[in-house]
Formats: sequence, C-alpha cells, structure tokens
Amino acid sequence: MKANKLLERVKQFLDADRNTQLDKIRSIRKVLKELKEKERNLRDKLEDEKDSEARESLQLRLDVIYAQRKKGVDRVQELKEALKEEAKPKD
Amino acid sequence: MLKKISLPLVLAFLAYAFWVSSDFTEIAAGIALFMFGMLCLEDGFKAFTGGTLETILRKSTDKLWKSLVFGMTSTTLMQSSSLVSLITVSFVSSEMITLAAGIGIIMGANIGTTTGAWLIAGLGLKVDIAAYAMPVLVFGMVFMMQKSKTHKGIGYLMLGFAFLFLGIHFMKEGFESFQQSFDLSEYGMTGFAGLMVFTLIGMAITVIMQSSHATLLIIITALSAGQVSYENALALAIGANLGSTITIILGSIAANLGGKRLAASHVLFNVITAAVAITFIGQIAWTVDQLATFMGIRDDDFLLKLALFHTLFNVLGVLLLMPWVPKIESLLLRYIQFKPKGIEQPLYLVPQALETPATVVSAVKQEVKHLFENAYGLLAHGLSLKRSTIDSSESLSEAVKYTRRIFPIDVEDLYEEKIKSLHNEIVTFIADAQLRESTQAATEELYALRQASRDIVEAVKGMKHLHTNLSQHGLSTNLAVRERYDQIRTHLAEVLRELRQLMATDDDLTHLSLDALRVESQKARRKLIDELDEMIRHRRIAASIATSIMNDEAYVTDIVNNLLDSVSILLKKPQEKVEDSLHLDEKELTELAEKN
Repeated sequence: MKANKLLERVKQFLDADRNTQLDKIRSIRKVLKELKEKERNLRDKLEDEKDSEARESLQLRLDVIYAQRKKGVDRVQELKEALKEEAKPKD
Repeated sequence: MLKKISLPLVLAFLAYAFWVSSDFTEIAAGIALFMFGMLCLEDGFKAFTGGTLETILRKSTDKLWKSLVFGMTSTTLMQSSSLVSLITVSFVSSEMITLAAGIGIIMGANIGTTTGAWLIAGLGLKVDIAAYAMPVLVFGMVFMMQKSKTHKGIGYLMLGFAFLFLGIHFMKEGFESFQQSFDLSEYGMTGFAGLMVFTLIGMAITVIMQSSHATLLIIITALSAGQVSYENALALAIGANLGSTITIILGSIAANLGGKRLAASHVLFNVITAAVAITFIGQIAWTVDQLATFMGIRDDDFLLKLALFHTLFNVLGVLLLMPWVPKIESLLLRYIQFKPKGIEQPLYLVPQALETPATVVSAVKQEVKHLFENAYGLLAHGLSLKRSTIDSSESLSEAVKYTRRIFPIDVEDLYEEKIKSLHNEIVTFIADAQLRESTQAATEELYALRQASRDIVEAVKGMKHLHTNLSQHGLSTNLAVRERYDQIRTHLAEVLRELRQLMATDDDLTHLSLDALRVESQKARRKLIDELDEMIRHRRIAASIATSIMNDEAYVTDIVNNLLDSVSILLKKPQEKVEDSLHLDEKELTELAEKN
C-alpha cells in the first residue's frame, strides 16, 4: 500500500466522529426540508378550508410541525457548534 | 347463503312447533335448560382451575384404572352416566384433566351406569335427581350472589346441576304421554332382523328420553309385563347404550375442541361395544346363563339376567378397549383437528420464517399488522361504525350523529377469537425465535413488536368496557349525554381513520405525524372534561352520569394511547434515528395541547 493511501486511511479513522456528525446534520436537514414541504401543503389546505373544526385541526398540525422543525434546527445548530469546537486548535 | 337462511328456518320451525304442540315446547325448553346448565357447569369448573379441585381431579385420574374407578363411583352415586359424561366434557374442555383421563372416566361411567339396571331390576329403586333441582337452584343462586370467586364458582356449579336436572325433568315430562302410548309388544321380532330393529328402537327411545336409565326402566317393565321377549330386551339394552351417546354429543356442541374429542371417543367406545355385543350376542347370553346359575339367579328371573347382561357387555367393552386408550387418544388428537369457527389463524408465522433473525422480525411485524387490522375492525364495530365508513372520506361526526343503534356485538367473544388467539401465537413465535441464534438488533425489535402486540390487546380490552356503557348510554335521549358520547365516538373514529391512513402511506414523515395525533387526543380530552364540569355546575347533567362519561373518556384515552404506541413501533424503521430527535416530548405535547 502506498504511503499517501495509508495516510488517507489514518485521516479517515481520526475523522470518524466528525463524519458521523456531518452525516447527522445532512439527515436532519433532509427531514427538515420534507417537513417544510409538508407545512406548505398544509398551509394551502388551511387557506381553502371553510369548516372551523377542520381549520382547527389543520392549525394544530401546523403547530406540531413548526415545533418539530424548531427542534430540528436547534439540533443542527448544536451539532455545528460541536464541530466548530472540535476544529479549534488545541492549546 | 345456507348459513344466512338456516337460522330463520330453525326459528320459524320452532315457532310453528311451539304453536301446535305444548309437549314440544316443554321438551325444547328442557333441551335449552339442559344446554344452559352445561354452560354454567363449564363456568363453574373454570373458577376452580388451578386450585384444589384440579389437584384432587388430577390425582384421582392420573392413571387409567383410577379414571375408571372415578367414573364408576361417580356414576353409581349420581345414577346418571349422561351427567358424569357431561361433567367430564366440561373437565376436558377447561383442560382440568387430560383427554386420556376423560376417556377413562367415560369408560368407568359406562360400567357405573349398569348399577342402575341392578337397582331397578333388583330393588325397583331409582334416585330421582330432578327432585333435587329446586333446592340446588336456590342454594346455587345464593352462592352466585357472593363476592368470593370460590363461592361464585360453587354457585355456578350448583346452578349448572340444577339446570341439567330441570332440563332432563322437562324433557321427561314432555315425553310422558309418548311413553304411555308406546307399546313394544306390537313390534315383537326374532333373529338378526329383530336384534337390529330392537337395537334401533332402544336407541331411539334413549335419544328421545335423554336417559338410558329411563329406557332401561321401560325395558324392565315391558319385560316383566311380557310385552317383549328376553332376546328383544337384550337388543333394547344395547340400543339404550348407543342412544346415550346422543346426550354427550348434545353437551359437546357447547364445548371446545377437547370436549368434542371426548364426545367422539364416547361415540367410538359405545359403537364398538355395541358392535361386539351384537356380533357375539349368543355367546354373551350363554355366559350370562352360566354366571346366573353360578350367582344363584333363577333361570326365569329375566330381570336380573338382563341387568347381568347389561353389566357384562359393558365390562367386556371396557376390557376390549382399555389397552387401546393411548392409541385412541393420539388418533383423536390427530384427526379431530378442526379449529373452532371464527378463531383467527396467523397468516405469517410459519416455521420457515424462523430460519434467520431478519425473517423472524419481518414475519412478526406483518403478523402484528394483521392483529392491528383485526383490532381496527373490532374497534370500529365497537363504536357502531362500519369499517367502510371509517375508510371512506365521509364525515365521521355526521355518521356518529345519525347512528340509530349500537351494534349488538359480543366484544368479549370477538376479543378471544380475533385478538387474544393471535397475540398468543405472536408471543409463542417470538419465544420460539429466542431459542435460536439472533442478533442484538433483531432481539430488540422483537421485544418492541411484542410490546406493540400487547398494546393492541390492551386497546381492545378498553373497548370491552366502553361498549357496555355505549350500549346503555350511547344513544341516550338526554341530548347532553348523547352529545358527549358522540364526541367520544367521533374522536376515536377519527384516530382510527388517521392511523389507517398512516399505516397505508410509507414516507419518512409518517412516524413524526403521530405527534399531532397525540396532541389532538390530549386536546379532545381537555375539551370534554371542561364541558362536563360546566354542565355539572349548571345542573344540566347528573354527576353520576358525568362521572360515567369521564370513565368512558378515560377508556378512550387508553385505547388511543395504546394504539399510538403500537403504530409507533410498527411504523418505525431501524435507520430512523434522526427523526427520533425531532419527536416532541411529553412536556412539549402538553404545551401545544394547552395552547390550542
């Protein structure tokens, strides 16, 4: 095995934790995107809905999605912070 | 089609027969009481399962000879082989004794019953069990009203006996006129034809009288009056034995598979014994003569000789078949395998699925989904809504509002047939799978799936209570009460509709959608309780009814939570760790419910 290939493997091994966290961020962002799409659909439905009970139910769903999205965004922030901390040169 | 028309036909026939014949009414009432008595006996014995009675029974029937002695003694004491046979069917049905022990008791009962012939012929005595029915009924009812389970069990047993006695009594009363007009001497015949005809007559009389003792009484009276010859009387006695099997067949209609197997063994035993007796009637009659001389019975004392014949051919039957009992038991177990109608069979739990951890998980998951489908149907009907209504897009609140009747379903029965049986199979399958090599992930998934199955079972259990109360108050004429129950029904129906749709769609967000259902459920609960408080304050509803509605609301909350928990497990994909972090926790859900 060539030296640089070997070095690449060592780097991958040392960065394993970082990679996992990046994967996590990517997955959460994917779900957040889908939630956003769902939220948009529900908003469209809410605009067309006349029945008060049905409107109430749609609004509740929107609130739940909003809370879930907020939770997701916070989680992404946390992960990013953690990555930045790791990247800082150690004294 | 046949099933649909058979019930109205039977009912129409019964109604017509009741109209034209009061005797028939009495006989039919007798049969109804008799079968009801059987059900009571079964309930009674169930109360003692696992207790002292089981230990006594097991100890006195753990060997074939003990079962034989038990059957003989109890029949001699009770003077009714039918009764002992019926009780044995109950024992086997409630799995208190094994099938082999049951066969032993039945064989013993066949010998025990011959003591009746000796009593009638020798002493002219017969214990009249019907006379005990009334006091036993009263005592039984007093015991039934007690709180203790043992007392209740004793009460059921006593009621069971009383109804059996009463049933037999009614049947006999109804046939009294028939018995008086039946003249056997008109049918005197000899030779093989005579033997066959009189066997059939004996059988027919026993079927009609529901008691081989009663038939023996007729035979002995007829023989002493010279209405039938000794030879024909022997054939009648064989027929009486065959006829008594009908009683046990009747009793086994209400019994489970074990009871039906025992009934089959009884028929087998009596038919073989009768066949042997008919084939060797000459030889047996000769032996009777020899034994009679030896015992000091006069040559012309046909009554005692008949009793001796009765005993001899029954003992012969037992001796012939005793060595074959284990073989008969295994044959019955193998061939009488039909499953009671309606019991749900697993669709995916096949032995091949046990091969790998992945196939086990997949099969169990499919089966739990199957269980969910069954629970969905049962819950929909429990709400008095059709599955098609919930599956459609029509307004559920409208469907609930215009409900005219609560579906008269037996939730307890359906629970046993469609839910519990399947849950048992799932638990057994998982236990079998755990004996094999598995992965950590598969073990965890199986654990979760078992919990999902249990959640579904719990949800249906909640419906048992809810349905009882819905039947009473669901369509109340008090508008305030009706509206609250409509609210409860609509809420559960909406959850069922949502869950069905979620189970059908399979995108990444399905699992997260459950949070909205949880918030909605909490919100619906708050709304209902607030409204009830308001109504109690303004005296628009009695506090007692309000608390009943609150209880029912609690059942619905439990049902919904259990369903959501189970569906959450069923919809979860192994890789879905990310979505987990987006789920709202208990505090966040409550905050949202309060906000809206």
